[in-house]
Amino acid sequence: MKKEFTKSEYFENRELSWLGFNERILGEARDKKNPLFERLKFLSITASNLDEFFMVRVASLKDMVNAEYCKKGISGMTPQQQLDAIHDRVHKFVGTQYSTWERSLLPGLRQCGLQVIESHEELNEEQARYVDQYFVENVYPVLTPMAVDSSRPFPLIVNKTLNLGALLKKKNEEDTELEFATVQVPAVLQRIIEIPPVKKDVRSVILLEDMIARNMSQLFLSYDVICVHPYRIMRNADLTIDEDEASDLLKEIQKQLKKRQWGEVIRLEIDEKADKRLLKILKREFEIKEDAIYRTSGPLDLTFLMKMYGLEGYEAYKEPVYIPQPVPDLAGKEDIFEAIRERDILLHHPYQTFDPVVDFVRKAAKDSQVLAIKQTLYRVSGNSPIIAALAQAAENGKQVSVLVELKARFDEEHNIVWAKMLERAGCHVIYGLVGLKTHSKITLVVRREEDGIRRYVHLGTGNYNDSTAKLYTDMGLLTCSELIGEDATAVFNMLSGYSEPASWNKLSLAPLWLRERFLSMIRRETDHARNGEAAHIVAKMNSLCDPELIAALYEASAAGVKIDLIIRGICSLKVGIPGISEHISVRSIVGTFLEHSRIYYFLNGGQEEVYLASADWMPRNLDRRVEILFPIEDEHLKKEVMHVLDIQLKDTIKAQMKQPDGTYEKVDRRGKAALSSQIYFMEYAKNQNRQPEDSAHDRVFIPAEPIEGPDDEE
Amino acid sequence: MACTMFAAIDVGSYEVNLKIYELSARKGIRVVNHVRHRMELGKDTYATGRIGTELVDELCNVLLDFQRIMKEFGVEDYRACATSAVRESKNHIVLLDRIRLKTGIYLEVLSNSEQRFLGYKSIAFNSDRFQEIIEKGTAIIDVGGGSIQLSLYDKDNLVTTQNIRLGTLRLRERLSDVAKRTVRYAAVIEELLNNEMRTYRKLYLKDRNIRNMLLVGNYIQYINKYIHKDRDVDQITKEEFITFYDEFIQTGQDAMAVRLGISNENSTLLLPTLVIYKRLLEETGAENVVILGMDLGDGLAFDYAERKKILKPRHNFENDILEAARNIAKRYHTNRNHTQVMERIALTIYDKLRTIHGLGKRERLLLQLSVLLHDCGKYINMSQSAQCSYDIIMATEVIGLSHMEREIVANIVRFNSGNVMPFEELAVSSLLERSEYITIVKLTAILRLANGLDRSHKQKIKEIKVNIKDNHTMQILVDTAEDLTLEQSAFPEKTELFEEIYSLKPVLKAKKTG
Repeated sequence: MKKEFTKSEYFENRELSWLGFNERILGEARDKKNPLFERLKFLSITASNLDEFFMVRVASLKDMVNAEYCKKGISGMTPQQQLDAIHDRVHKFVGTQYSTWERSLLPGLRQCGLQVIESHEELNEEQARYVDQYFVENVYPVLTPMAVDSSRPFPLIVNKTLNLGALLKKKNEEDTELEFATVQVPAVLQRIIEIPPVKKDVRSVILLEDMIARNMSQLFLSYDVICVHPYRIMRNADLTIDEDEASDLLKEIQKQLKKRQWGEVIRLEIDEKADKRLLKILKREFEIKEDAIYRTSGPLDLTFLMKMYGLEGYEAYKEPVYIPQPVPDLAGKEDIFEAIRERDILLHHPYQTFDPVVDFVRKAAKDSQVLAIKQTLYRVSGNSPIIAALAQAAENGKQVSVLVELKARFDEEHNIVWAKMLERAGCHVIYGLVGLKTHSKITLVVRREEDGIRRYVHLGTGNYNDSTAKLYTDMGLLTCSELIGEDATAVFNMLSGYSEPASWNKLSLAPLWLRERFLSMIRRETDHARNGEAAHIVAKMNSLCDPELIAALYEASAAGVKIDLIIRGICSLKVGIPGISEHISVRSIVGTFLEHSRIYYFLNGGQEEVYLASADWMPRNLDRRVEILFPIEDEHLKKEVMHVLDIQLKDTIKAQMKQPDGTYEKVDRRGKAALSSQIYFMEYAKNQNRQPEDSAHDRVFIPAEPIEGPDDEE
Repeated sequence: MACTMFAAIDVGSYEVNLKIYELSARKGIRVVNHVRHRMELGKDTYATGRIGTELVDELCNVLLDFQRIMKEFGVEDYRACATSAVRESKNHIVLLDRIRLKTGIYLEVLSNSEQRFLGYKSIAFNSDRFQEIIEKGTAIIDVGGGSIQLSLYDKDNLVTTQNIRLGTLRLRERLSDVAKRTVRYAAVIEELLNNEMRTYRKLYLKDRNIRNMLLVGNYIQYINKYIHKDRDVDQITKEEFITFYDEFIQTGQDAMAVRLGISNENSTLLLPTLVIYKRLLEETGAENVVILGMDLGDGLAFDYAERKKILKPRHNFENDILEAARNIAKRYHTNRNHTQVMERIALTIYDKLRTIHGLGKRERLLLQLSVLLHDCGKYINMSQSAQCSYDIIMATEVIGLSHMEREIVANIVRFNSGNVMPFEELAVSSLLERSEYITIVKLTAILRLANGLDRSHKQKIKEIKVNIKDNHTMQILVDTAEDLTLEQSAFPEKTELFEEIYSLKPVLKAKKTG
């Protein structure tokens, strides 16, 4: 790496850049051009994103601070400096979240006929009666109130749960000390409860915690309730397994799961109106500092808004549901294997349906010529049809090998259950690799055909998860190319612990050669530019924060390579640094669907190359994960992928450009057509199915062949 | 279905390999999967003489997994072979049994010559250039973990093959103490090699003009790629190699491994390999290094395809075997004219008796070899020539001959003069079975008869005709002007065994010409 491109002032801190991404989503929640209920959804996403950010990133910084580790990041900040900057920015962010809710969304909902009762004092008499009865019948039986006094220690408050804290005073006793009590808002009950409306055409809902707060005195009959306030804590839950020591990875994770809730408290959220005495107790018990306390002016844990989005009705305030379209190359084809033999097939989700991928495994499970199915599974939906098909295949006598990544964040418990299920069905299950997370998405079907062994491969940018495939934009390739087939077999050999092959045909793998591969492709463009040729890189990914790759991009830009980056999330690269990054543009697209595909384009002196990958340009992807980069070589499909990039670069509605100061601004639309790439692709996918095949365009009539008559005429 | 799925398992000194092949007459051989597991079995064997329990357990697990992978490709037949690491371990008989019981895999131990033969088979099949290359003097050098195999080809035929027990892993293990103490590691390896090389050169390289050095193995392919970058060349000149070698020594093994793209686990054997290559290049005086892939698995697959008549052989290895035997005979100054005549006579009789002895093509080759080598022992001791011939044959490697076949030939030669040992006596010091014993006796009878017909070693009889009469007599018609008194007198003694075995009485009838 050349020094001139690696100065710390050339890099933006990744955590702050991530917060910028969450701010862009919040921007969508604030954008009045979006339908009201979609805005609820965006707000909900910012809340769940922030939760995960605290659990993983803040927790990890906390660990570093605790361990007195003060090495600076690429942008030159120590862990403590980063934590301080994060808290500063998140306090402002949370303020914006709640003002969006209180001032914009709540009144908006009332206007469209949904009354969200924020405090039980607003209830009319009929409603109040209903609420109290509902409480007695449905809520009271599952509550576990806990009081704290000298004989009862402070109870365990579970990570991420919503709780009500109260101060109590013994009835009929003057001058006694206030006692603290807490009760968890049960997660098993619906948080939004519909109650009788105040008037016609208006629906009313109340939140569960309000209902409990209203009836708090019923839980502590011999006390007067002085005050009740909801609060919520976040603990350090980053799961770091020492893989060198764990003899059995599986057991270790199961152990860790139980331990996780005991972590240090790193955030406390509480109602801004909370009683100071109550807050003091919480602060003491959780050993938390002032900057980690977030006071809110509305309901805690805004993720419930996703449930509110799901309320029936209000269709006028939601985007119409988009139905993923069939893939034209597979339309009307019974035999998916035959279709793949005809030509490679490109899939673009969620514009096109994920069904072919499920179908691919399902058909393979039943096909008599199939010998083996191999797949890597990272995050799979509960009740996944793919898992069912794999189990079925094993029962049908196929050789089924599945690599189950147990280290997928927060999914371990879930994963272990179905991994065991697969094992019982007779599948060969590999529980991940020591020290590496398997993030690649690859499926291999080995089939014995008339003329020998043929391998069918699916490679993708997204997980084998049929639910997220409706929300995430991803691309995939179905092929029976012999070269890719050989590589796919080699990938699974390596995942089973065998040595890497002498050479690879088409695929590049992390952590082996992927970093080098990307660097050499960037440098190749740099060389082209230096030789005075046109040079262009377009790269679409979720995050960019690898210092070595960023430095290579700076060097390329300095040499004159035009670089267009489409990066949804973190981008530590800074644009517009004179002499360093003047030829680089960075845009982020935040839309209804989560941008998730990774696409890499290199002009390569006219011999254009297009790749798809499971990897972002982050150190973790390139060094600590198994990732696959695969080329799209079919000329027709290459054009399709380049078209996707082209349209994204032309997006003027949802795209935001990164500015030299690190902020993002909507594209300047003067002189440009209004274009939302996601809407474009929805229409494009629909049109592809309408268009008749090329041959039908030919104005040549083909006479039908005479039907062969029976022989008896002779 | 037109294809056969075959798997070859190769348990080597530092790697266990599974290769799965699709065999078909139309498309030939296609590798559909190659699974490599790195484990240094040789480390145990070469250091302690036995393979430890831990490694055996690991091997069993790998082989069990191989069973699963074979199913993934619908493998119908397989061969699993072990080479020197297992062969040289003292506990290998117990070990093979444990492997079979635990994994269901029947692992065979190949003798060195069988192993090399399969290796050459893979070269012959893999390279179209093989025939062309071996026209000129060529040394095929296969550097393995346990040993180095050196074979010389000239004018299309194998001249000699020798095994030097100084493979890379063995060198590394033997010098493991030294490596820590010296900066002249490469020089020490060279010194150790020189000793063996001197003997080899004296005996075998003297008058040979070696043009090409044909190297097989993985490292050389990496080196070739490094020297020639993307160019598709499979030849390195002597100068290119020496330049590379110097760069390697200066840069050091670890840094060079990175440049070559060789993973860490495989790099520790790189230096010993290179030193061996360099020394051999100097000793043979070859100008070119030709790079060919050789692979025991491929050899097993070709061998299988050939036996199942899926593929036709590309190089006649029987000629190699015969040529090697002729070279051995020459070294021990056997009477070439005598053996030539005997060869003709013996084969004529053998072919005539085909339905009677019921033996096949392979046994015919064994008879031929027995003729060629039957009096090589005279070089050592005139009066105990039979025993000496036996000892020489048992100690000489012939590529393409299994250990068992070699023992058959050695015994035929031993029984040529003197008594035929009863099976029980032979079995005391041999693993041969009854069926092989019968082959030995049948062929010995023919050898003796043929030998008797040139008793004088003067080639009085050049051609014979053989007729079977009334199921009891075998008439041998010879066409000669010479006096056959000596042959006639020796005839009863030399035919006694033949009569006993075949129930045919040979009768010699001379048809005087001239």
